[in-house]
Amino acid sequence: MAINRRQFLIGAGGLAAAASTIGLSACAPGAPSGSSGGGASGGGTNLALAWWGNPTRNKNTEAEIQAFQKANPNITIAGQPGEFGSYWDKLATQTAGGQAPDIIQMDMAYISEYGNRGALLDLAKYGADTSKFVEGTVDSGKINGQLVGVNAGINSAVIVANPKIFEKAKMDMPDDKTWTWDQLSEVAAEVASKAGVPFGVEGNLFGADPMFGAYLRQNGKELFTEKDVGFEPADAQAWFDLMMKFQKAKAIGTPQQISEEGSTGGGKPIDQSAIVLGKAALQYYNSNQLEALNAASGESFKLLRAPSLAGKATERKAWYKASMLWSASAKTKNPEAAVAWINWFANTKEAADIDKAERGIPPNAELQEYITPKLSPAQQEVAKFIADIKPELANTPIAPPPGGGKLADILFRYETDVLFGKTSTAEAAQKFVDEVKSNLQV
Amino acid sequence: MSAISELSTVHRVKAKTPEEKRLRAKEAARDNKAGYLFLLPWLIGLALIVAGPLIASLYLSFTNYSLIQAPQWIGLENYARMLDDPRLHQSLKVTFIYVIVGVPLQLIVALAIAMLLNEGMKGLAFYRSVFYLPSMLGASVAIALIWRQMFESDGLVNQVLRLFGIPATTSWIADPKYALWTIILLHIWTFGSPMVIFLAGLRQIPGMYYEAASVDGASHWAQFRKITLPLLSPIIFFNLVLQIINAFQAFTQAFVVSNGTGGPSDSTLFYTLYLYQRGFGQFQMGYAAAMAWLLVVIIAAFTAINFFLSKYWVFYGD
Repeated sequence: MAINRRQFLIGAGGLAAAASTIGLSACAPGAPSGSSGGGASGGGTNLALAWWGNPTRNKNTEAEIQAFQKANPNITIAGQPGEFGSYWDKLATQTAGGQAPDIIQMDMAYISEYGNRGALLDLAKYGADTSKFVEGTVDSGKINGQLVGVNAGINSAVIVANPKIFEKAKMDMPDDKTWTWDQLSEVAAEVASKAGVPFGVEGNLFGADPMFGAYLRQNGKELFTEKDVGFEPADAQAWFDLMMKFQKAKAIGTPQQISEEGSTGGGKPIDQSAIVLGKAALQYYNSNQLEALNAASGESFKLLRAPSLAGKATERKAWYKASMLWSASAKTKNPEAAVAWINWFANTKEAADIDKAERGIPPNAELQEYITPKLSPAQQEVAKFIADIKPELANTPIAPPPGGGKLADILFRYETDVLFGKTSTAEAAQKFVDEVKSNLQV
Repeated sequence: MSAISELSTVHRVKAKTPEEKRLRAKEAARDNKAGYLFLLPWLIGLALIVAGPLIASLYLSFTNYSLIQAPQWIGLENYARMLDDPRLHQSLKVTFIYVIVGVPLQLIVALAIAMLLNEGMKGLAFYRSVFYLPSMLGASVAIALIWRQMFESDGLVNQVLRLFGIPATTSWIADPKYALWTIILLHIWTFGSPMVIFLAGLRQIPGMYYEAASVDGASHWAQFRKITLPLLSPIIFFNLVLQIINAFQAFTQAFVVSNGTGGPSDSTLFYTLYLYQRGFGQFQMGYAAAMAWLLVVIIAAFTAINFFLSKYWVFYGD
């Protein structure tokens, strides 16, 4: 017995006060009149645009909306800024109520959650233009062959290094083109003991899904396949065993210290992170966070590649990650206008002038070249890094299937279980795979 | 309402003939109508804000509902899945420890402070407010954040311990052995509202009982056991029931102290926090609704047991 949303909402009785029922049914598919976000009024087109961010991004986005409206006088955009944590709760409830914003800033972890359930617009159908995008940057937004998200900026998972701590330890910076996972452990243990810091490399390295993903890819596996987990318990056990090796070598700090720093999703904000406070020589981050890290610490951190198994960066199977994507609601009344915003953001110098590399390096090759000289020193370093790793790229990993977006939280939880000796690496690996599988909704 | 019912009582006494009875019934009906009319704002609120969502969530608990797609009826599957969900069992364990340890300790502290304040010291109003303050703040995000920092490895607690020469480096919130206890401590610290109720209860006990007991040579401890406890037992019972119901629903502290993860290692995975993770984090609103109904059943069972046991220890005599 399946009930559609409209019947359900009316049937739910309490929620269906006369006024709101009219409002909700107006948003149901095929309803003739305009919805809250997308209706036509005053002869122009109104769009709602939701994003999460930080103060810089909020300012940029407001300026971008102004510039876009100037170029497209018949489109008006109402911004809905938010915080990453609460953004997804809000988006889920808005979508459930048929009130999703027309334009949605999307994350890789959630794109198939929405895309696979038909909540996102096929952007290619309405003329989304990704013709100038660098290879490998378009695929991340494809779900079931439909383009439901356009890459808003390129990222790569990196290990950020604090050169001051290496100086203090009287050590050279490691050669990230040749280092292996074992060498990372040795370097981290040495720098931690010589410089007297708790973390050689901060321990969430092993709770970070891009790092685990890199390790898996080098072993010929993936985090996810289209409908399943892409690795075996044995692979996860190897990862946990590697972590215990790091821990015994005193490269990643004590279990308590690792637990206190927290996971990627539940961890400390950038300005209190271990590397910013001088407690870690190395720490996992995404490349676009370098500027924020430098700003918070007053230092000039360096970007290092993730290690490889073979000791050759060209075999490390790197990939360009979309720091975020632009999506549109499948229920928008104005798909053309929504796509017009996305095209404007992705392909015009005007947009790049405002956004610079705050959302990541532009995937559009021409814009990359155009904007690089205008970037801050930190952003220029990021742009150079992104360009440098091009020969090291392999295929782009697919987005996690629905229910797979919480992998990092689960991984970190089992990491702490193992570190605190609550379970063996073999048992943790089995439970970890079981739990990720049972969460998938495919 | 009470004025209206008093009026009816007066009529009832007077009504003797059938004529009067009919008249009385008519008036009563009119009174009832007026009563319901005055109740209407509350009734509408109850129907729209409480009953409607309540029924909806019961329905959702039998569905697979991702928030994005329409709910699909799956019968009892959500409830069946609960039986072998290890995290659900962990969250029950955490919540039961919190309730069974936290609530009695909090009530003991509340009663002790209330008895101190009842001694009739100077500036009572001031102290009462000061002690009440934590329960206004305890469930707030700000206090939970401060709590988190106090119990970190370089937090206030360890700094104070170091002043006394103890080389404390333990991160109390980051170790699965201790994290839950810091939250239980936070719960105990918010003893204000049961304290105020205890204080009011203590004021009701006539002083002459104590005077008589003193004359008979009863010790303070005997007075407490034989006079204070029995006469205060209805108040203790009230506080116990209320605090148990509240404690089962604890959310904010756990959410903030663990940054929403229930960590470290699920050691602070409160039931409501796990419910929230399932509903909003994993888009399994059907399962979350089923969890909510299990919580209703658990709380109802605890309350029923409380009322049953109250026969054996609560003293309502005059």
